[in-house]
Amino acid sequence: MAAKNHGQWLAEPGLKPNEWVDSRIYSDPGIFEEELEKIFKKAWIPICHESELAKPYDFRTTTIAREPIIVCRGPDNEVRAFLNVCPHRGMIIERRPSGSFLEGQPSGNPKRMTCMFHAWQYDLRGNCVYISREKEGYQERLRKEDVGLRRLRCEVKFGGFVWVTLDDNPQVSLEDWAGPAFTCLRKTLEAEPLEVFHYHKAIVNANYKLWHDTNCEFYHDFMHYHNRVTGFNDAYFARKNEAFEHGHIVVGTFEVKYENYEGFQSRAALSFPYLPPNQWYMIDMFPGMNFNLRGSALRCDVVTPLAPDRVMIEFRGLGLKRDTAEERQTRVNHHNSIWGPFGRNLHEDLLGVQGQGTTMLPGSEPRRILHGRHENQTIHDENGMRHYYQEWGRWMNRQPNNPDLPYAEPMSVAAE
Amino acid sequence: MDAAALVRDTIYRSTILLDRQDWNEWLAHCDNGFQYAIRAFSPEINKDVTYLALDREGLASLVKLLPKHNTDHSPLTRHTSVYTVDVDEQAHSAKAVSSVIVYQTLLDGINSHIDAGESRLFLVGKYLDAFKIENNKAKFVSREVRIENRRLDKGSHWPI
Repeated sequence: MAAKNHGQWLAEPGLKPNEWVDSRIYSDPGIFEEELEKIFKKAWIPICHESELAKPYDFRTTTIAREPIIVCRGPDNEVRAFLNVCPHRGMIIERRPSGSFLEGQPSGNPKRMTCMFHAWQYDLRGNCVYISREKEGYQERLRKEDVGLRRLRCEVKFGGFVWVTLDDNPQVSLEDWAGPAFTCLRKTLEAEPLEVFHYHKAIVNANYKLWHDTNCEFYHDFMHYHNRVTGFNDAYFARKNEAFEHGHIVVGTFEVKYENYEGFQSRAALSFPYLPPNQWYMIDMFPGMNFNLRGSALRCDVVTPLAPDRVMIEFRGLGLKRDTAEERQTRVNHHNSIWGPFGRNLHEDLLGVQGQGTTMLPGSEPRRILHGRHENQTIHDENGMRHYYQEWGRWMNRQPNNPDLPYAEPMSVAAE
Repeated sequence: MDAAALVRDTIYRSTILLDRQDWNEWLAHCDNGFQYAIRAFSPEINKDVTYLALDREGLASLVKLLPKHNTDHSPLTRHTSVYTVDVDEQAHSAKAVSSVIVYQTLLDGINSHIDAGESRLFLVGKYLDAFKIENNKAKFVSREVRIENRRLDKGSHWPI
């Protein structure tokens, strides 16, 4: 049958119910708000890398589910996370993206986190250590010992990433939640210290899950000239798409033929530890983080959902801390020639997801988004997205293909 | 034309060539040893970051392969103002600092029915250029596009 009339267009596809999703999950404002509460306020999020807080008193700020967060390295070298909110009047305490508390601020002393508004000060453990005119204003009714920053669970793990959750009592530990998915790269990422060398961000008009979908499926490599000429051989098509508990996916490796793209060379000389030459692994973490290692450079994407149809994606690139200047520059070029904002692939990926966002604006007619390819769980199988949306359904208690209904496990789970 | 005027003229002519996407004609103004980079300082990670770095050969390959890539075809318009030109007469070289503002006139990047025709600010930065001056011509030896932006949204396939 060729083009469809409206009724045919809306008819269910000849696929199993878990092989498509309803586009309302990408556009409905109510579902979006629920996702912030049920998913992003509960999940572990890798908000930065420890090398961004290299020295005691260094800090970094971020946001999870609209909650401003600060992470800092204490004088004891521990990395801790707090809500970046003053308990006095709700002012955001630190406004800069990064910096050091070794320098004094106009309202406060060195080695303190100071709220500029009324000069309340906190140490690097989150204790309130100074309330301006404390006794004059509060007498004995409120003392600095009674207030303090809201501390958050925080762990440095899996290659030095700083993971934070807003949930004081997460259902599983970070190790249990992410460890199995990181098994393929753990030895490599933990062999020696890593260091971030690249940062940029994109805000695109698309739902955050559409970006994660793009990272989870490689069928879209048809969009990338670079990937077609450097991959698309028997080894590429044999790459496994492996599902892990908690909604994570690992895309197995193969040897990329970089030299098949004019102007590019092999990256074998700078492979990360314990990796054969020119390998390419990808770990996609629920609900929207990605660790992507192309042999010589590690990329990490973290999504911050801003609205049903708007997401910020932060892109980091990492190399080995011990790199010489020459090695680092080569590694940076390897990363950015493909994944930088002026690289060959990232621009295309962002065009793709923006194009999806354009057709799935809030209020647009719901349609079915297909996740139904089966290729023995190899690279162009869409089992990764099916696996993700089962997890999404459990967290949200909604059916991905009909979000008005409560979640029910698909009959075909065992086959995945 | 004196050396400083040659440098200014080359920067302005190159701006027009880049806007026209006349990449090879632009490269003709570049020395064989030309080095090109787009860089920024990221206060997020407190480091200089390199977003693209290529030599002349790499740039030639990049522009040659552009037609094979899916891309945002929204044209870029550069507004360049040459601030300083410092000529070293003995070394037959010069350095120049220019302000560059890049606007993007939307075409097919989002929803062309709604957005096409709208011009948006795309990049803010400076050109930090070095030249070789020979035979009454100024040739680019290096260009660093020093941008302020770290929020680059869809980015671009094109040299700036």
